[in-house]
Amino acid sequence: MKNGMIRTNKGFFEITVTVNGEKKELSVKNGEFLLDALRRHGWKGTKKGCDTGDCGSCAVLLNGKPVLGCLAPAVTAHGGVLTTIEGLGTVHAPHPLQRAFVEAGAVQCGFCIPGMILSSKHLLDRTPDPTDAEIRKALDGNLCRCTGYVKQVEAVKNAAKRLKAKC
Amino acid sequence: MDAKDLKVVNKPAIKMDALGLACGEPAFTDDMDFTGLLYAKLLWSPHAHARIKKIDVSAALKVPGVKAVLTYKDLPRVPHTTAGQGYPEPSPYDTYTLDNKVRYVGDRVAAVAAETAEAAKEAVSRIKVDYEVLPAVLDTFEAMKDGAPVIHDEEDSKNIPDAKHNIAAKFDFEVRNGEWFKEADHVFEHSWTMPYLQHCAIEPHISIAYFDNTGRLVLRTSTQVPFHVRRIVAQALKIPVKNIRVIKPRIGGGFGSKQEVLEDIVAALALKTRRPVKLEYTRKETFISSRTRHPATCRMKAGVKKDGTITDAEMEITLNTGAYGSHALTVMMCSGSHTIPMYRVKNNIRFIGRSVYTNMPVAGAYRGYGATQGFFAWECLMDMMAAKIGMDPVEFRKMNYIKLGEGSPVFKAMGEGREGVEQVITSCGLFEAIKKGADEIKWAEKKAKYASQSGPIRRGVGVACMMQGSGIPEVDMASATMKMNEDGSFNLLVGAADLGTGSDTILAQIAAEVLGIKTDDIIVTSSDTDITPFDVGAYASSTTFISGGAVKKTAEKVRDMIIEVAAKILDQKKEDLRLEGGKVVAKDGSSCSLPEVANTSLYYYNQHQITASASHFAHTSPPPFQANFAEVEVDTETGKVKILDYVSCVDCGTAINPVLAEGQNDGAVLNGISHTLSEEMEFSSNGTPLNASFRRYKIFSAADTPPLRTFIIPTWEPAGPFGAKSVSEIGINGPLPAVANAIYNATGVWLFDAPFTPDRVLAAIKKQAPSPAAGSVKLLH
Amino acid sequence: MKNIKYYAFPSSVKEALAVLLNKKYKAMALAGGTLVAKTLPDTVETYLDLKNLPIKSIRLHGGNLVIGAGATFDDIDRSKLCRGWAGGVISAAAARCSSQLIRNMATIGGNIARPHSFNIFPVVLLGLDAKVRLQAKKGARLVDFQDLYTSGLGLRPGLDSLITEIVVPARTKKWKCDFIKLAKTASSWESYITLFFSAEKKGRSATQARVVVGALSPRPFRAPEAEKAMLSGAGGQAAARALAAELEAARAGEYRSSAASSLFKRFIEGQI
Repeated sequence: MKNGMIRTNKGFFEITVTVNGEKKELSVKNGEFLLDALRRHGWKGTKKGCDTGDCGSCAVLLNGKPVLGCLAPAVTAHGGVLTTIEGLGTVHAPHPLQRAFVEAGAVQCGFCIPGMILSSKHLLDRTPDPTDAEIRKALDGNLCRCTGYVKQVEAVKNAAKRLKAKC
Repeated sequence: MDAKDLKVVNKPAIKMDALGLACGEPAFTDDMDFTGLLYAKLLWSPHAHARIKKIDVSAALKVPGVKAVLTYKDLPRVPHTTAGQGYPEPSPYDTYTLDNKVRYVGDRVAAVAAETAEAAKEAVSRIKVDYEVLPAVLDTFEAMKDGAPVIHDEEDSKNIPDAKHNIAAKFDFEVRNGEWFKEADHVFEHSWTMPYLQHCAIEPHISIAYFDNTGRLVLRTSTQVPFHVRRIVAQALKIPVKNIRVIKPRIGGGFGSKQEVLEDIVAALALKTRRPVKLEYTRKETFISSRTRHPATCRMKAGVKKDGTITDAEMEITLNTGAYGSHALTVMMCSGSHTIPMYRVKNNIRFIGRSVYTNMPVAGAYRGYGATQGFFAWECLMDMMAAKIGMDPVEFRKMNYIKLGEGSPVFKAMGEGREGVEQVITSCGLFEAIKKGADEIKWAEKKAKYASQSGPIRRGVGVACMMQGSGIPEVDMASATMKMNEDGSFNLLVGAADLGTGSDTILAQIAAEVLGIKTDDIIVTSSDTDITPFDVGAYASSTTFISGGAVKKTAEKVRDMIIEVAAKILDQKKEDLRLEGGKVVAKDGSSCSLPEVANTSLYYYNQHQITASASHFAHTSPPPFQANFAEVEVDTETGKVKILDYVSCVDCGTAINPVLAEGQNDGAVLNGISHTLSEEMEFSSNGTPLNASFRRYKIFSAADTPPLRTFIIPTWEPAGPFGAKSVSEIGINGPLPAVANAIYNATGVWLFDAPFTPDRVLAAIKKQAPSPAAGSVKLLH
Repeated sequence: MKNIKYYAFPSSVKEALAVLLNKKYKAMALAGGTLVAKTLPDTVETYLDLKNLPIKSIRLHGGNLVIGAGATFDDIDRSKLCRGWAGGVISAAAARCSSQLIRNMATIGGNIARPHSFNIFPVVLLGLDAKVRLQAKKGARLVDFQDLYTSGLGLRPGLDSLITEIVVPARTKKWKCDFIKLAKTASSWESYITLFFSAEKKGRSATQARVVVGALSPRPFRAPEAEKAMLSGAGGQAAARALAAELEAARAGEYRSSAASSLFKRFIEGQI
């Protein structure tokens, strides 16, 4: 065995990954994708909408960048830092983005919202004061059938203001 | 009462489940783990039409981990409908949980439950089926001809009006006031078509069947109609209703597709294995094997006088219901009943409706429910008539739309699956809606500006008006139960199924308004057949109007019980007491708090639980109204249509929660825009779906979405709770005609076939103005 | 994916190549994985993840623009160097890849490693005379992009060699270019046709012309007659006719031929 290589044991890879700030040793199945592994290990906030990389419900932050959990093999998270929606905030201590989505009425059925909020988080991390067009571009991988995106764009703008005021 | 007196209703209360959803709290069907869960997979028909001669499951059963394989031989043969409608359903009973015949590519053949999804998949691949492939028919007009393949040739199906001609439903109706088109100066006749469209709720269809500790079957399922699921599963599998509990968790969108009862098969697998079983459709399966909108050909013929009077109108709609007749009759009838009354027709009205079986995916309920198909034709025809008589389309509509106090013979003649009810319009904000929309889009200014354009890029504006209903009169019924807690909070139990619409929140707002408390003092439990009272479910734009009515009545009963107790506490007459700010307040200013009332009733005086239930149904279905305006830019050399601005003004009576109402409308409008410019299921010549994925069936993303603006036009509907009507469906009906009319305004070219993709638009432009050289299209104006 | 035994994540090209060339591993190299991870052949036993390789930078070298194969669509979309090159056409193309989530994951190397109708970059790279650096058993090779998909290459990137960088020649820096993706919607993955046009002018006449057509077949192709028409200064109408004829010959169908030639005419008239 070389450096920079791990192998399966009885159909599982043992990977080391930081999830929501906690270092974990996770068993992931051969051929399992990150979305399925996360849900199997209890992070149910990551959703399966299409399983083909087209809807964005499964987006999680891997090393700070939103990726599609259904297209990323779970093993590729080895050594990485993951943030799922549960790691962003909780009902008792929500992240400003979560609060902004709720207050703007951007959450209808809510199935696409975890992915959308994580995409928004990445946007605001690197573009603290985004234009409407930048927001729409950053969210274009997160499909929503309920809202028309109007209130979600508004929510991201409101969150940006709130986050800037905090700095 | 007036909207300005309202304290909780008509205010933007925070949607009560939003924070949990935004934080990823486990809430949906699949967010719960079950010990010993089995995974279900179905074998789908590869043929559009075939009989199963032989089916051998022995190899499938040998796959390690497989616990059950079901074919038609293992299940009772019960003709039923999957349409989750009130009993008796007006849809034909033409469906079997599993059958020895398959009727479209994607029809159920067999079902497997196994320890892992992989094993279930493997087992499905090992089922050996010997098919007798039958001739298939994919086109509605072919299917109605003598000698066409008969899709429902079985003897035990029920309520199919003409199985030999593949007619799943038919309805004709005529109002005759003299000779047809005699008074008309101009007569128009055209046909408009709409393709297969899918709902695309982001959560796929999913159900988990398990057993409680007494052995009863529990269905945790993503449904809009929990009570219909209980009834239809009991019927299809021949088990007593009392042995089934249906739980509706949070739902990841439905739009009509989850008004379909597909839970019978996962229930059958659970009953066979006595284990919890999960059936989750893949996205592809959701596209092909759940439900779709009814593709339509809508022919309309209408006459108009030079002065703008519409003299006659005839609508002939032919719907493709696919292999089964789910909602076949009712969608077809609504395509006329929700559209024809929109405008006064002086003399003659005729409706001819057919829903036709083909060997194609099954259509069902879809937001708009026929009105989408009907308005595409009617509203484009309106613009054609206006253009011919030289009247502004806005003025032409203002002159002709149904006014306050007016009725229509159509209301009485056409209900949903049966005769309708007589009704007159008791609230209508359409005049204001049209005015607001015209102002916002700058109608007059842009019409003038776009009258003379040159170059390949042209702009135009278009308008469409619509109506819908609010529940099905004398069919839909909802009920609610409330009980009071020690701290002055209340539990509200409703059968209404919040599928992401926010109905839990708006129903709480209605109760809070009655009780003079805050919305968050109400804890809502929605739709669990063991716990909550009955409700037909979330469809027909009924929840605010019907379920809201039930909640209001319930809260009023509770209010009376509170006052009864408070009268004793305060030693006041009941009629001098009112509920306000979490207290019971007397005329003289004395008051007692709600916790005091609760504690008194629970522990001291005439001990009792303050609790009440009430039911509600309606004798009318007050229509909401809308005016939509689109501004478009058409590249006449590529056919690309870009929507520059879209304004939607909606009269939904009192918006119980304006933010949620706007959100409902934004979503409906965008769904309609996506229908208009992009969506269409494609099929091979043998009926195999070709683009059953989000990658290839393109729904609009945030980046694709044009500026959308919803304006709520307040009116007061006397029959609705606090003046409310419906809002959820109507918005989807506008974009096709509004954009078609705007394209006409921009280019002088009519589009008749949705969606208006660049290739179609360019073909239409070239057809009108054929040009020898590429890149130099002359436009008529 | 289900037969994967090893997950390799080397941090140098040399190590990566060693894994790839060692028959024991039956390895396949993946970068973003968005195109291949879901459909990895069952014969592959080692998932060779290129994410840690130092091949992500976007830089100038000898006047040429050098894009590391590991640069993502998002990196390229946002790169100042790319935005400043040939009117920003490479960045514009990157931004037209279906969605931000894909743009965050997918790399330019992955996008060109296998021919596919709806890959974005090949049309642009063919038009910009790009070269591709491959690392194989026998060392590094620099090949013309147009030779990448030919059998004469003798290499199968990802299986026996690695794409390490894309070199866009210095002379293209000032070219007037346009990338057009004609699709149902802005974020469609599919398109009717993708087009790359470029021109370099001296005075009123074009001294260089490129017309590249994508999405009709897995490999994009140049339209030589249209290019000739551009260089001859025949005017937009004539050039458009030439392109339309070439597209008809390529069985593009009436719609694509007509729309594309109109867009081509517009490009020429906008430039000259």
